[in-house]
Amino acid sequence: MSEQASGRPPAIVLDSVSKAFGSHVVLDEVSLTVRHESIMVMLGPSGTGKSVLLRCLVGLLRPDKGRVLVFGEDVARLDPERPRDREELFRIRRRFGMLFQDGALFDDMTVGENVAFPMRMHTSKSEAEIRASVDDKLRRVGLPKAASKFPSELSGGMRKRVAFARAIALEPDIVLCDEPSSGLDPVMSATLDELILELHRTLGMTFVVISHDTAEARKIADTIGLLAKGKLVTYGPTEQVLRSNHPALRQFFERSTDGPIQVL
Amino acid sequence: MSFFWFVRHALVAQFTRVPPLDQFVRHMVDAGVGSIGLLTLLIFFAGLSLAVQGYAAFVRFGGQEFLGLFCGIGGIRELYPVMAAVICGARIGANLAASLANMQISEQVEALEVMGIDPMNYLVAPRLWAVSLAMPLLCAYADVVGLAASYLAAVHQLGVNPGNFMAQLRGIVGWEDLAAGVFKGVAFGWLVAIVACYHGYRSAKRDGAEGVGIATNRAIVHSAVLCIVLNMILSAILYV
Repeated sequence: MSEQASGRPPAIVLDSVSKAFGSHVVLDEVSLTVRHESIMVMLGPSGTGKSVLLRCLVGLLRPDKGRVLVFGEDVARLDPERPRDREELFRIRRRFGMLFQDGALFDDMTVGENVAFPMRMHTSKSEAEIRASVDDKLRRVGLPKAASKFPSELSGGMRKRVAFARAIALEPDIVLCDEPSSGLDPVMSATLDELILELHRTLGMTFVVISHDTAEARKIADTIGLLAKGKLVTYGPTEQVLRSNHPALRQFFERSTDGPIQVL
Repeated sequence: MSFFWFVRHALVAQFTRVPPLDQFVRHMVDAGVGSIGLLTLLIFFAGLSLAVQGYAAFVRFGGQEFLGLFCGIGGIRELYPVMAAVICGARIGANLAASLANMQISEQVEALEVMGIDPMNYLVAPRLWAVSLAMPLLCAYADVVGLAASYLAAVHQLGVNPGNFMAQLRGIVGWEDLAAGVFKGVAFGWLVAIVACYHGYRSAKRDGAEGVGIATNRAIVHSAVLCIVLNMILSAILYV
């Protein structure tokens, strides 16, 4: 049964979204739909607008053109400079968790306080409940004994795992992950992939993952997109995309320098 | 982001919501207690110098009994509040600007935004309250330290009659001067905090580590200049 038929709107719809910085067009008429409770992986070379796309989803950047619908609400029409729109934006953002590329952990808080922070700010849970939830999230990311450490005491990979624990702390509807596997060893990267699949399966979270890692895309994605030079080259169900003979897609999956994607 | 946009949003955040208590206490302690050592040292020497310079000028025409009056007017009304603002402002402002700039370049401010937490409420408002309330206390403390230093120099080194010194001081310094000092302190504190928060907040990831240095530098220079100009304006309003 399609989502429209079931009466449930898609988690995210991008409708002809364009964004430019000066004369540099970063997103060019990008349109896509992310189904509720799905895992979408957006692939693409560096500097092609993947992170800008992610920022447009949560209203950190406003597209120059187009609509960004999150559960049917248009984020792009909200102007963060206007107090009323800002409140609206904050309300919508509470449905998201976001894993930043470098973690973006609060460095004046311990790991435990970082993970507890969204719960302290947005829920009325008791300290004991918050502590139990923090322990659970840290155990899931393989850092059960790190709660009292400060981010500066952790390696890059550990910081990323803590950031992931923080992103899922409120068990949000949508989790955005900016390069989750970069900086992680293959085993930890695979563990994080398993965790994404488990959270998707058990809690029905929708994941939007920005990545370079084709293996990760094959493993976790329901839907794969490829963004190159601001254009959505291809987008569709994983099996369909993997069967596709689109030259840019083949070049990306085969790690080849020959093809339409040129970086030099 | 213009300064006026920032000020408008900061004022709305400061006066429409109760700031997070833990952040407020942390910044209050850092701004207040953290500044006491440096302030004591510098104001003590400034107080000694004020007495020595005043004595050197007044003794020429036998007016050394006016030293209490001179130290009261020069110190409490002008020198100590503005010195406290510039000294503590540099220390506090550098701290605020550097920490906020660092949060910007490491995407911590964006992380707050994505969590649905307004950084103006969570980061800026408690800093504005903390420094606005800490600065008048620091100014009052500077008055006490500076006067004590002037008294020590005048009475124990320069031979001025202690009763005379205190009588002159009480004759010229009243409660209205202390109230004016508190008022100036609040104004200086708010100014230091808003300038520092602005420079820290407007840093961006692309500015990198250099951006932290630039924000810190601008916060110190701009807050010092603005405090001295504001002091002149407030003195003209309060005492003329």
